[in-house]
Amino acid sequence: MGDKSSVLPSTLVDQLVVPGDVILDVSALTNRTIKLGGGLRQDADLITVTKAGRLRFSKPNKYWVESSQRRYVPSVEDSVLGIVVDSKADNFLIDIKGPAIAFLPVLAFEGGTRRNIPKLEAGTLLYVRVVKANPDTNPELSCTDASGKAAEYGPLKDGFMFECSTGLSRMLLSSPTCPVLEEFGKKLSFEVAVGLNGRVWVNAESPSTVIVVSNAILKSESLSSTQQRILARKLLEKVQ
Amino acid sequence: MALQEREEGLVTPGDVLGKAAEVRAGKGAYEHSGLIYASITGRSLTVSPSAESPDQRPTLEVMGLKAHGAVPEPGSIVIARVTKVMSRMASVDIMCVGFKSVSEKFTGTIRQQDVRATEIDKVDMHLSFRPGDTVRAIVLSLGDARAYYLSTAKNELGVISAMSSAGETLVPISWTEMQCPLTGQIEQRKVAKVGS
Repeated sequence: MGDKSSVLPSTLVDQLVVPGDVILDVSALTNRTIKLGGGLRQDADLITVTKAGRLRFSKPNKYWVESSQRRYVPSVEDSVLGIVVDSKADNFLIDIKGPAIAFLPVLAFEGGTRRNIPKLEAGTLLYVRVVKANPDTNPELSCTDASGKAAEYGPLKDGFMFECSTGLSRMLLSSPTCPVLEEFGKKLSFEVAVGLNGRVWVNAESPSTVIVVSNAILKSESLSSTQQRILARKLLEKVQ
Repeated sequence: MALQEREEGLVTPGDVLGKAAEVRAGKGAYEHSGLIYASITGRSLTVSPSAESPDQRPTLEVMGLKAHGAVPEPGSIVIARVTKVMSRMASVDIMCVGFKSVSEKFTGTIRQQDVRATEIDKVDMHLSFRPGDTVRAIVLSLGDARAYYLSTAKNELGVISAMSSAGETLVPISWTEMQCPLTGQIEQRKVAKVGS
C-alpha cells in the first residue's frame, strides 16, 4: 500500500474506498496543508479512511469520502425535514433522524415573538435549517434563513413524506436538475421538498401524481441519468 | 430523661445532649423545642465559645465513628468531570473536594452565566467544555435537589485536563485554546490557569 499512497493527488480519488485504506502518506510532504473532510482520519503520518464510500478531491487540497446511508449525521447549514415530537417551554423537540433529538427554539420563526408562538402539534412535518450541530449536544434548528426571513422554511401541509438514503437526497438536490425530477416536471405539476436527512415530501393536486413521482424517486437511486429518463417516460405514458 | 454527660460519651441519634438555653447545637446535633439532640451516632464533645463572640454558650458537637468522605460546601474548590454539555449549562460529576476524594456520587451544574466573569451572555457552552473534560470549579451553593451549582468564573478555575478528538491529552496554549500534540488541531475550552 505504501507506493500507492505517496503521490499527490492520491491515486484513489474517485474510487470506492473502505475503512482501513491508506490514501496518503504525509511524511514525505513538507510545507503543504491538506484539508480532510468527512470519513478521513489522520493516524500519525498516514491518512486513513474511516467510512466506506467514494473518495473525492477538490483543488487545491481538500479530500473527503462521499457515502450514502439511511442514518443522518447533523451538520450545520443543512436543510432537513423534521417531525415535531414534543414542545417544551423554550423549544420544540424535533426528530431529524439523527442520533439526538433536535431543538427548535420557539422564537426561531420570521417575526417570532413571545406573543405569536406557532402552535405545532406532535407529528407536524417541518422544513427546517440546522443552525448548530455538535457531536455531544442536541442539534439546534431554525425556521428562518441566515438573514431572518422565512424563505420556504416552516410546516409542510398535505402531501406525502417518505424516507430514503442521504445519497439519494443529495442526488435530488444536485444541479443541474436531477433527471427524474426534470422529466416529470415537464408533464406533471407537483412540488417536492428534499431533506438532507433522508426524507422527501411530495405534494400534488391528484394522488396518482404523488404516487408515481414518489415511486420513481425511490427507484432512481441506482440508475444513471439515461435510465432515469427512460423510467420517467415509461411511467408518464402509463399515467396519461 | 437524664441529661447526657458532657464528657467523651457515646451518643445515638435522638439522645438529648442539653438545653438550648445553655448550649448551642454544632455538627451532628440539632435543636428542637428548646432541647439539643444528637443526630448521628458518635462521641459528643464540647467546644468552648471564642472570647469575642456575642453568644457565649458552648457548642456541642457529635463526632461520627467512621471517617466521612468529603462533602462539597459552598466556597470549596472541587475537581469534577464533565458528563453532559447543553446549550445553557453543563452537568458534571464531582470527584474531589479540596484534596479529598468523595465517597458517594455528587452532581454539579455549571450554568452559562457562571462559566466566566466577562461577557457572560455570549458564552458558548460547547466552546468552553466537552464531555470527559476534568475541570476545577468552586461551589456556589447547594443548588437544587439534583445538583450543586458550580462556577468556573476565575482565572485559576476551568478545564485542567482534556482529551482531543484524536485521543491525545490536549496542551493548553491560552485561556481559551488547547492544542493536540499529535495533530496540531486547536480546540476551544475555558482553560484554568495552572501554576504560580
